[in-house]
Amino acid sequence: MTPVEVRIEKGPPARPLPGPVRRRAPWHLRANALVVVWLGLTVATALAGEGLPAPRWLLIHVFLLGAVSTAILIWSEHFAVALLRARTPDPRWSLARLALLNTATAAVLYGMAAGPAAVAVTGAGVIVAVVLWHAAALVRLTRQALPSRFRHVIAWYVCGAGALATGGVLGGLLAAHVGHGATHERLHAAHAQVNLLGWIGLTVLGTLFTLWPTVLRTRMPERTRKASLTGLRLAAPGLALLTGGLLADLRWLAAAGLAAYAAGALAALLPLTEAVRARRPHTGAAWTLAAGVVWFEIVLVADAVIVVTRPAGEVAAALEPLLPLVLAGFVGQVLLGSLLHLLPAVLGGGPARFKENMALLERGWAVRLAALNVGVPLLALPVPRPLALLGWALVLASAAAFVVLAVTALARAWTVEHPERRALASPALAGVMAGCLLTAAAVVVSVTGGSSPATTVVATGTRTVEVTLSGMRVRPAVIEAARGTVLTLRVTNTDAQRHDLRLATGERTPLLGAGKSAILTLAPLGEAVDGWCTVAGHRAAGMTMRIVPTGALARPGTVTGHGAHGSAGQATSPDGNGGPVTGTGQTGLDLAAPMSPGWKPYDAVLAPAPGGAEHEVEIRVDDRAVLEVAPGVRQRMWTFNGTVPGPVLRGTVGDVFTVTFVNGGTMGHGIDFHAGANAPDGVMRTIQPGERLTYRFRAEHAGAWLYHCSTMPMTQHIAGGMYGAVVIDPPNLSQVDREFLLVQGELYLGEPGSDAQVTKIREGRPDGWMFNGTAAGYDHAPLAAKAGERVRIWAVAAGPSSGTALHVVGAPFDTVYKEGAYLLREGDAGGAQVLDLAPAQGGFVELVFPEPGRYPVVDHTMRQAEGGAHGLFEVDAP
Amino acid sequence: MTWWSVVRFLHVLSAALWVGGQLTVSLVVLPLARRLLDGERREQVMRAVGRRFGMFTGAVFLPVQLGSGVAIAWHKGVTWASLAEPGYGRILAAKLALFCAVMVAAGLHGWATGAGRPGFARATALAALVGSVGVVLLATALPAT
Repeated sequence: MTPVEVRIEKGPPARPLPGPVRRRAPWHLRANALVVVWLGLTVATALAGEGLPAPRWLLIHVFLLGAVSTAILIWSEHFAVALLRARTPDPRWSLARLALLNTATAAVLYGMAAGPAAVAVTGAGVIVAVVLWHAAALVRLTRQALPSRFRHVIAWYVCGAGALATGGVLGGLLAAHVGHGATHERLHAAHAQVNLLGWIGLTVLGTLFTLWPTVLRTRMPERTRKASLTGLRLAAPGLALLTGGLLADLRWLAAAGLAAYAAGALAALLPLTEAVRARRPHTGAAWTLAAGVVWFEIVLVADAVIVVTRPAGEVAAALEPLLPLVLAGFVGQVLLGSLLHLLPAVLGGGPARFKENMALLERGWAVRLAALNVGVPLLALPVPRPLALLGWALVLASAAAFVVLAVTALARAWTVEHPERRALASPALAGVMAGCLLTAAAVVVSVTGGSSPATTVVATGTRTVEVTLSGMRVRPAVIEAARGTVLTLRVTNTDAQRHDLRLATGERTPLLGAGKSAILTLAPLGEAVDGWCTVAGHRAAGMTMRIVPTGALARPGTVTGHGAHGSAGQATSPDGNGGPVTGTGQTGLDLAAPMSPGWKPYDAVLAPAPGGAEHEVEIRVDDRAVLEVAPGVRQRMWTFNGTVPGPVLRGTVGDVFTVTFVNGGTMGHGIDFHAGANAPDGVMRTIQPGERLTYRFRAEHAGAWLYHCSTMPMTQHIAGGMYGAVVIDPPNLSQVDREFLLVQGELYLGEPGSDAQVTKIREGRPDGWMFNGTAAGYDHAPLAAKAGERVRIWAVAAGPSSGTALHVVGAPFDTVYKEGAYLLREGDAGGAQVLDLAPAQGGFVELVFPEPGRYPVVDHTMRQAEGGAHGLFEVDAP
Repeated sequence: MTWWSVVRFLHVLSAALWVGGQLTVSLVVLPLARRLLDGERREQVMRAVGRRFGMFTGAVFLPVQLGSGVAIAWHKGVTWASLAEPGYGRILAAKLALFCAVMVAAGLHGWATGAGRPGFARATALAALVGSVGVVLLATALPAT
């Protein structure tokens, strides 16, 4: 084989050039403008940084999918034509592919960053189709061309295209959220590896065989063809193994695949080092390319270490720090080096113009190269923030300098081609444009960053909220807090895949691995703040949250936050079952839904008073109990003895109750027995967790009495569930067949004491009403009675804000006893339909069920009945 | 009407003279000079106009503008920290930054004229002109309180 000199810049001799030399390949000129535009967008994306949704993902994909893939599509075809000395295929098809790729890329970027995931998935599908089409076009070129010694290069391109087809499919699956947790991470790892090492790696290696000697202006080493064949035979199956191993979670298969790939890459790079021995690099293009290849090798070694030492599910996360090396060090420099070398050739215009363009593009190349290569490790290494920023500045300045020079060169070529439009490039226009841009920038700076009159919010309190990220949701989705609250969010990723949380005000967690936590401390809350996960597509999939000042919530009752009360520390959902803690509010509780398995109703059957005139009771606060407050809705309640209502105390007039009241809760509580007569200062005082007091009272009066927590704010403590009944039988209370007790209370969904719940309490917007602590509980567990039996129903209205109009459908009352007095007695001519009780009042009614059937017992305040103050008597035949 | 009105008046007047002067030179004087005068005279006139305007900028405009501007800012209680706050502070900061950019452009214009780079001189002159109109825009955007 004779050594060949490759001159890419020379057109295929098969086609005589029409017109002057500078008219050469105009579509390349236009197409390369696309690459330069994508590069500019990359710089802009990096600068915009946190202002964008999914900034990391966007930066990677604007660069790799935008700039790099466009460049590969253009150049691999161009090289194939040049190397095979083939007839230039109809440029319309090439342009169609390019247009499709760019449209699809835009769709993917939009779909993942902002729009519906379906857009991104469609985009990925189109990209796969385009790249397969591209591969087919390359294969056809090879078939049609005369035998060429550069055929082997095309094989690399085709394999690279195959890799992007695979990577694109994997990317589409990622965008569609197929596979969660560890599967998702493995898909991610395979997607990254196959695209970077395949689409980009294989293409670059293939190109270097011919490009590198051309850049060095030396002859192609003789062993190139052999090395290329060996290299591809190792690298392509290696890549397939690596991808398969990562997907199938077979670490050693993946490692073996990567080793084969690395060996293949090494084999391919050997002839290149030989070329360097023949001629030292002397141009900016050569040095930049060389630096890119060195970074490629460094990345390969680091990648191998990661793949060998980590399970497949953690590879994607571990690769993250390598990204700057891959993006800026390897891919960026190879792209810059190639463009430095190729742009002057493409721009054409004769030897003088070529030299001029070359000089323009290589202006200050040594400084740019040094800046880039000093900046890249600063981005990858865990250096202090100022140094990392310096790294960014160096890399971006270097890239921006190239973009400016390239744009200048392109504009020059354009004005040479279109001398009639020269005026457009006049200094006057440039000046006016510069002035407008400066003004626009200043206006943007002046109007961004919030509404014009700055409102400083004074800190009024602090609160810690647990936030969990999992299953494409941020929980709680809404946090309500009073204006001025300094919120601390303890963010935990309980998912198997990585998430983060970023707030519109700029606070953000790092990307959190499975089980990892981070703490965000916010400025005093002023306006509503949005939060979301910045991982691409997650925001669109619903990983959003909102922090709103109290009262700003438009849809009442739809949300709840996990708040802490007072200084009691953080409050997590103690709901071990993971049941819904959030309520449905005005969208309606589903009272017909089944109760959770294992639910036991509060026993409404009232036992007779125990004998004796002295009663000793221990009442212990449990404010971490999780109870089923409505069908299928379990939530934390504040309780006496773990139930709502608390234990029933029953006795007769004159009995003495000695209550040992223990605060086993997490905050201060107290107790107030309406049935007793005591000075409130002592026995009703608030005691702290762990403390106890003895509350002794003599029940001087008969009646159905309320007892409740006496700690302010009482609305919250009563609404939280801290109430119960004391039943003191009136003298000569007649015997009945059955006695029941119904304590009615309001239901406020949400964490007790949370701002969302407190707001509803204060505004009197209960989510429901409960008999004995469960809305519609006795619809699901009817109370049993028999026809003809005399039934006494004791009732107490606990509130905190609404009373009751107790009514039994189908069975009028013949006895009504309310607040210590009979309003109606058995044998009277009259009857009663409702026992009306204001908050904290109590009494009883008696009735006889006339015949078997199901008799609803309701609060005839119908809104409250339909909100859960509803139960059933299942009356059987005697 | 207080002494502060006078300071504000000086600030506005000096700005009007400078921006108006630039507009007059660019839109009236230079096009006419280009059309009516031949090569040598034109060079002479343009250079003289430029020098005179540069002298006015350095000797009158900048001292008056900076002095009165600083005084007004002090009077309004502007601090370094308040420049970062949205609203008055942020707009003022943007205006100052744009003003600095305009001054840099004007300086480059002077250098380019002297160094015999007419294209660059023209570009920077127009950039300075558009930028100073932008400064006026931002000044009118400052909340009045």
